[in-house]
Amino acid sequence: MGDADRRGLAPAGALAVGRCTIVAIDFPSSGARAAGSRRWVSVALLAPAVLIAGFVVFGGVGMSIVQSIGLLPLVGEARLSLDAYTANADELLTGLGLSLAIATASTVLSCVIGLTAAIIITQGRRTGRIVAAVSALTIPIPHLIGAAAVGLLISDAGIIPRMLGIPGTEWPDLVGGPWWVAVVLEYTWKESAFVALVVAAVLSSRVARYDETAALLGASRARRLRHVVIPLARPAVIVSAIIIFVYTFGSYEVAWLLGRPYPEPLPVLAFRLFDSITLTSRPEAAAVAVITTAVSLIVVALGMALLRRTPLWK
Amino acid sequence: MAMLIPYGQRVTPDDGTVTSRGLMRPRPAGRALRLTVASLLTVWFALPLVPLLLWFFADRWSAPAVLPTEWGFDGVSSALANGALPAFGRSLLLGLVVAAIATPLGAMAARALTRGAVPAARLVSGILLAPLALPAFVAVMGLTIVLLRARVPGMVGVVILLVAAALPYTVYTMRVAYAAHDLAYEEEARTLGASPWHVLWRVHLPLVVPGIARSAFLAFLVGWSDYVITVLVGGGTIVTLPLLVASFAAGVGNDAVIAVLSVSAIVPPLVLLLALGRFGRRYPTAHFLNGPTASRSPKGSP
Repeated sequence: MGDADRRGLAPAGALAVGRCTIVAIDFPSSGARAAGSRRWVSVALLAPAVLIAGFVVFGGVGMSIVQSIGLLPLVGEARLSLDAYTANADELLTGLGLSLAIATASTVLSCVIGLTAAIIITQGRRTGRIVAAVSALTIPIPHLIGAAAVGLLISDAGIIPRMLGIPGTEWPDLVGGPWWVAVVLEYTWKESAFVALVVAAVLSSRVARYDETAALLGASRARRLRHVVIPLARPAVIVSAIIIFVYTFGSYEVAWLLGRPYPEPLPVLAFRLFDSITLTSRPEAAAVAVITTAVSLIVVALGMALLRRTPLWK
Repeated sequence: MAMLIPYGQRVTPDDGTVTSRGLMRPRPAGRALRLTVASLLTVWFALPLVPLLLWFFADRWSAPAVLPTEWGFDGVSSALANGALPAFGRSLLLGLVVAAIATPLGAMAARALTRGAVPAARLVSGILLAPLALPAFVAVMGLTIVLLRARVPGMVGVVILLVAAALPYTVYTMRVAYAAHDLAYEEEARTLGASPWHVLWRVHLPLVVPGIARSAFLAFLVGWSDYVITVLVGGGTIVTLPLLVASFAAGVGNDAVIAVLSVSAIVPPLVLLLALGRFGRRYPTAHFLNGPTASRSPKGSP
């Protein structure tokens, strides 16, 4: 009916215009020219974004490598050497271990809590809506603010020891303690909300129908969770795990604010060396940066390999 | 990383579908478990915000007391005296500038990538996503020497680095928006005689406006919450809100000021998020496109 309306309303000229355009597009040489110009338009549209991202990524990594192997000293002659890597070998190794441990703990906890929250959210009803709302409100809070809030919450003068009536002297060192509890908690708090919303979006879009079918075929609740919901959520969980791991591995401010002075995670070590007044410390900071980048890339590659092995990956 | 988050999209099922699932109606035990887990999760997500709100209104809160011993707004006046207002303005400006640059660049790149005809498309989208996998401090430590030798002013350097950090979000969000975008509407407008400029403003942009709002929000967040890039490139001369929070939080006994600064750093993105939720739903493409035809056909049919 709508079609007929349109046909009835259209003036005779419009049809002619339409026919003319079709003829023009069909004409071979003009078609080739159109494809060529479209390619140029694409390149022009992409150029500014690719130039900025490429400058920052390749420039940042490239100049870090160049500085770390002694080719760009602040003073003196450029000389190829690996001194910057060996100068703080011990601190580099402990920092690497510590950063890996913090990132692993935060990633695993965020994924477990986030997946639970996502399942609650997609179960629907009021409880799900409340959890969805509070986790969505957590997302835009900057990590630094989150760190300050966690400090006010669980430091020895924080709100929780006060409410529990435990004096500050008997409260365990969660902030700046040996187990980096406050750092992991802050990451887990922010990132579990991220996992919850990402996974909930995936579950709400395709899981509901499969879940109902499985229920109709007689699957119990536990089996549906084990064989339907979790496998369908797996790709989204892996993608968020990669993102969380790389972020927590290379992030500075939370570990600096809520951690202890020694040992230092890699980003904190790099910051201290970068700001130090010794002349050799800039290349050493660059060496820490290069190692952090290399580990991040390896983790991304491993994560992508894992993702390709999930049956749902298209 | 927030780009994957479905802002403005419903993630909870409708009431109708939930109640109609007879087979899956929860049993009392399951219901109690769900309620317990849901309330634990709500506490988990909301708890860190409690000390901020309490300290915001606390003038004095000595150690063993469960609630503030003196209420008031000393924290606010102290924060204002320490330059909270200019820092707030600087953060706002930084967020807006990053959004104003990264959103159109991301939209243009996403448009080109979704329309095809891009040489080495996989490499290009890899480069555009790469800032996400690169720790921010690596990029800054490598590039400060370049920016210093090229005599780029600190603020410009910060903006360049933040735009690069925001591009993965804007490109990805706009690619999702353009994937659902039907080019036929633009072509139809062209055949009806609209100029390319007219098509851009009246057809193309109105159709992708929810995506643009989302990506501008994410780009704003990148500029608004940044600490590492501002502190390393600016060398401490560009004092934004996160820098002020960090300098107070690194000391002892500034709890009320920290709370005031933190709350003022949380409120603007939250307001934007709520606005986005309304805006994203107000202009859904499906309604915009199907609405008129659907409402007209019953009346028009004989």
